[in-house]
Amino acid sequence: MTPMLELRDLRAGYGGIDVLHGIDLTIASGEVVALLGPNGAGKTTALATISGQISPSGGTVSLMGHNVNGVRPDRLARAGVCLVPEGRGVFPNLTVRENLIMSTYTGVSISSIEERAYELFPRLGDRRGQTAGTLSGGEQQMLAMSRAMTTDPALLLLDELSMGLAPMIVAELYERVGELAQKGLSILIVEQFAQAVLGVADRAVVMVNGEIRTVGAPADISRQLAEAYLGG
Amino acid sequence: MKLSPANYAAIALTVAGAIVMSALNWSGRPVSVATVGSMLVVGVTLGSIYAVSASGLVVVYTTTGVFNFAQGAMGMYWAFVYWELRFNRNWPAPIAIGLVVLVMAPLGGVVLDRLVMRRLRGTPLVLQLMVTVGLMLGFMGLAATQWKGDRGRNAQPFFGRSGGFELLGVNVTWHRFTTICVAVLLAVLLRLLLHRSRIGVAMRAVVDSRSLTSLTGANPEIISGLAWALGSSLAAVAGILIAPESGLVVELLTLVVVDAFAAAAVGRLQSLPLTFLGAMVLGIGQQFMRSFLDFPGGFSNADRALPTILLFVVVLALPQAKLHVRGTASAASARIRRVTPLSDAALGGLALIVVVVSWSGGLVPFVDEWTGTGVNRGVTMMITAIIMLSLVPLTGWAGQVNFAPLAFAGFGAVMFLKVAGDSGQAWGLLMAALLTAPVGALMALPAVRLQGLYLALASMAFARGFELLFFTQSSVIDSGAGERIASLHFAGWQLDGRGRGYLIFLTVVFAAGVVGLIALKRSRYGRRWMAIHDSEAAAATLGISLVETKVIVFGISAAIAGFGGALFGIQQATLNPSQFTLLLGLPIVLLLVVGGVAYPAAALFGGVNTILFIVIKERLGWSWLSALEILGPGLMAVAMVVNTRGAVTDMGRAFSPLLPWRQDAREQLRLGHASSREDEIGELGLDRPFTRDHVNDLDKHLGIVDLIPATPSAESRGGL
Repeated sequence: MTPMLELRDLRAGYGGIDVLHGIDLTIASGEVVALLGPNGAGKTTALATISGQISPSGGTVSLMGHNVNGVRPDRLARAGVCLVPEGRGVFPNLTVRENLIMSTYTGVSISSIEERAYELFPRLGDRRGQTAGTLSGGEQQMLAMSRAMTTDPALLLLDELSMGLAPMIVAELYERVGELAQKGLSILIVEQFAQAVLGVADRAVVMVNGEIRTVGAPADISRQLAEAYLGG
Repeated sequence: MKLSPANYAAIALTVAGAIVMSALNWSGRPVSVATVGSMLVVGVTLGSIYAVSASGLVVVYTTTGVFNFAQGAMGMYWAFVYWELRFNRNWPAPIAIGLVVLVMAPLGGVVLDRLVMRRLRGTPLVLQLMVTVGLMLGFMGLAATQWKGDRGRNAQPFFGRSGGFELLGVNVTWHRFTTICVAVLLAVLLRLLLHRSRIGVAMRAVVDSRSLTSLTGANPEIISGLAWALGSSLAAVAGILIAPESGLVVELLTLVVVDAFAAAAVGRLQSLPLTFLGAMVLGIGQQFMRSFLDFPGGFSNADRALPTILLFVVVLALPQAKLHVRGTASAASARIRRVTPLSDAALGGLALIVVVVSWSGGLVPFVDEWTGTGVNRGVTMMITAIIMLSLVPLTGWAGQVNFAPLAFAGFGAVMFLKVAGDSGQAWGLLMAALLTAPVGALMALPAVRLQGLYLALASMAFARGFELLFFTQSSVIDSGAGERIASLHFAGWQLDGRGRGYLIFLTVVFAAGVVGLIALKRSRYGRRWMAIHDSEAAAATLGISLVETKVIVFGISAAIAGFGGALFGIQQATLNPSQFTLLLGLPIVLLLVVGGVAYPAAALFGGVNTILFIVIKERLGWSWLSALEILGPGLMAVAMVVNTRGAVTDMGRAFSPLLPWRQDAREQLRLGHASSREDEIGELGLDRPFTRDHVNDLDKHLGIVDLIPATPSAESRGGL
């Protein structure tokens, strides 16, 4: 079966200096993969390359068997690749509703997006006329996530979902990610070493210095990480 | 908009000031339904003109993140194109309007986006300001080149001058009625477009984050192009509507939109309804002044100065709203600058004096023959350079934008006229500088509160205010009285303002100024200026007083400009208000920035260029180059999108390695060559062995003498 995403010897970076040094990774349709690693490992660069924001300097990115090297990010987004970037992936000067309007470029109607977003995150419904920059961190992340959850993407890329958020909010967001996974969506989640992600992932990959170091079941990786940290 | 008690106090003070001003200048004309009605009808029309212009500014700012100083000049240009089609070629009005507003202007906007605006992304704010001001001069120059002279071109109002209907005793022409309708319609439609339509929301989204916009599936490049197309169309609509009212004159049409900056500032550059309100306040306020107030002689321009005053007050009194524009921080670009030693500055100054003495003494062949210039051109060049020098510490080192150097220069000229105009004594120059310094310090007060764009607007308002209210006073400059400024008396010499001695004196003054400024830069004051440029917050945490630092640097800058102005006065012998206008001051700022605003040598570069454009125009004698002195600086400023470093930087890099004592410059050049080989060197040592040959190759390029012989073990490891 053709994998949803396939990276072959992927190399990419900034200003002629590679950050990724030959990544090989496959995500099957409906699979949830956690991409873990310390700061500077190249996780965000990997997501930026898959979503078309950075052109690879070598290797290939294939979606459903099609080479998509050099395809513009907006075309990939319309084709079903949805990246929720790290930090707050919202437009701060636009209202909640206007942020949702921006999701309609994927072809889904605003009424459908609004209905689903406010149902999933009722708090957003209460704040639809408020500018996104004035929302709390958790609400902003919910708004960013609602783009992913209302536009039916084929591949979801989540970058540091838990960054700077209270554990309760993180738990709520991962609950939603779990629901998406159950619907059969392919998901690649980047986190530093958050344990929360291992609860929803089918497979975990550890990246260090632009290379994949370990691939395994979430439970095994979780144990290895604990040993690495605690010397067990 | 949340207002603080200080904001309320400022608004109350402004209203009280307006009431007192009205009471003091009340004309005594009867206040009746007819007179008030007439004032309102004309005021609303005027307000509508401002509203159309200002809404274009606001839309461009909200959809592109760039405050387009060229908006007025673009509108002026499209008004000329419309006139050409409609009245010169007698095309039917609907076709001419449709072609200009719906085809040519949008296409022009897209071209502008492609060629200029795209390259401005992520650049420092100062560069964005200069490039758009450069565009303003560029469009003015282009229009003046295409349509030469003000040869009584008449843009007829729509539906003729006579028709219309009676309202409150005033005849409202159909053209004015159309203007009002268009203003209201635009306010409503643009609001709907920006907040209710997907494309409008996307235009605002692109300003927030281009990358996120593309991740939603929208193409930011197309959206930006559309935003500029819309902005250009709005400029065209404004220009076409305004031209019959203001006259088809390049400067007048451009300045109407500069006046509309005040209305846009009321809307804090974002809110269309507030902008509309601001425009109406402006229009009705101006008409109120014309209908019911009488100003004494020198203040007869007070109604024209109202937009300037309002802009100054609004920028200072209202809380500033800033778009969260990512990646276009006002921070300076990364700078690796060598701090010039005093000896280098002194040597450079000496070389300049030698060159000028030789040239003015006729020792340099061909220069005079080719340029056709006498010493007087050299005098103009050097005076311009001295005035430009005033901006080096202020804008180049302290990062404070100032579009009013000519206002300071004019003030200095007036002070010299007053204190030593009869005698021409040299101490008058120092007095002029000293007396101008407090005016600069006054300008520093808004600078304490304002940064970047808002400071630029405040300085423009300051310059225009001086132009309309100060220099027009007969007690300041009495052009009719024939007051003359005497030749300069200096150390027993009498130096004619157009003579060789004066030129040499100016050159010595310029060289001494450069050395003095370099000494200041190397002092603790200079370091403070650069600290506030890099980060005001960080400077404040180090205990640097922002108020004191800004007041001092503005004071010094104004003193230098005032000194330059006094020198200008001696050259000109007579003064008149038209010598110190805002528009004349803009090329001075632009040419300095093109040279590289942080370098005193750029002032000389700017001075030379000022003359060069005039000389080229005269020598070539091509009629299509008639507006080269505006077009040239404008286009040079726009070209900064390609080279943001400034011309002097590149010249310095090229020539300094030739100087025997500049070992550091040669080293830098070699490193530059070496870094250009980075790609070739690539990941050497990380993914392939770094051998002895590579070491030798690298050493050769870096010019490093290998003192430590390679050991066999190092080679055998095959890497570092």
